[in-house]
Amino acid sequence: MQRGGREGGVRDDKRAPPPYQAPSRETCVAEAASSGDRLFRSIVAAKPKLVTGVPDGMLSRTIMLCEASPDFPYIACAREEECIGVASGAAMAGERAIVMVQNAGLLNSLGAFATMGLRYGLPFVVIVTNRGALADPNGYDIEKREAFDAGVRPMARVFDFDANDLPDDLIPAAFKWAEAARKPVILALEKRLGAEAAA
Amino acid sequence: MSDLSNLPSQQDAISAALALYPARPFAVSDIGSQTGWLKAAGHDARNLYVSGPMGLATSVALGLAAVRPNEQVLAIAGDGALAMNLTSLATIAGAKPKNLSILLVDNRIYEFTNAVPTPTRDLDWLAVGRAFFGEACVRLSEMTAERWTGVARPAMIVADVAPAPGKPPALGLTPAMIRAEFLGASRAR
Repeated sequence: MQRGGREGGVRDDKRAPPPYQAPSRETCVAEAASSGDRLFRSIVAAKPKLVTGVPDGMLSRTIMLCEASPDFPYIACAREEECIGVASGAAMAGERAIVMVQNAGLLNSLGAFATMGLRYGLPFVVIVTNRGALADPNGYDIEKREAFDAGVRPMARVFDFDANDLPDDLIPAAFKWAEAARKPVILALEKRLGAEAAA
Repeated sequence: MSDLSNLPSQQDAISAALALYPARPFAVSDIGSQTGWLKAAGHDARNLYVSGPMGLATSVALGLAAVRPNEQVLAIAGDGALAMNLTSLATIAGAKPKNLSILLVDNRIYEFTNAVPTPTRDLDWLAVGRAFFGEACVRLSEMTAERWTGVARPAMIVADVAPAPGKPPALGLTPAMIRAEFLGASRAR
């Protein structure tokens, strides 16, 4: 995220930028609620039979809404690989299932993703928070993102989105694609420069 | 486990567990040994042969149980396999599906990997299961159909089985065949 309005260029010391002001906690929470609500509404619109996941900060609002939803069960897994199994079980019965995990969690689950999702051609949707973006530079996230690019993108279709600017029809469209392609699809959500933090 | 001579085979234990149900449950088996012996016990369209990583059957069964709440689902896992996805027991205990049970067939070896002993060969699986499911973790040798009807779900059945002298017959089904047949069965009732 670019704060203070300067990205690159020559710095003019005589015209110093306004002092950086961190967004308030209330602002961050409101933004997370907004993007999380939007993702939840898109999930509901796709009419899944179940949603499963392991929390990430960018997904917490959506997960809490899913937990409270009367429209489908949310299965909270202890490990991400389990989520792939749970979604596969639903998809084997011909039902729509959604997985929500962080990029590191999907990396933990690539064996299951390949030998269930790809091998059986199961059209479930995996929502991945792709941490370690330019606007999301936590030191402990950088290698996760590098590994995601190296390990996940060559084996599966990944569509990338700004976590704060998700299309309303994102999840229904993802299912349409997966069902047409007869394989799982990955939606990578990331924080982008110029937008407020998602979480 | 000092005397293995009186233990049932894995195939017989699977057959006995399936026979506890008044109607055929969905049976979700782990890759390799459990899938082979489930098919040897009797192929059924309601069998779901998992080709995922060892241990994933319990998670796949949980997903199936969630979308088919009016059907009984039995996950079949080996001791080596379940140890690889032990956290699924915590997830299942938390999700509390009213239609899911786990059959643990404990032969104390990795049957498909030249019978190398499992690290859990001395583990008390009944105690492990009871930590998650309480009295709903039972021994197969003590179960009858009548008793089984009264066991709460989620449940776990522990079956000590004899190591087989060889591998089960090959599955002989492609992933597309497994998926198509199971899809039909999962929508049949």
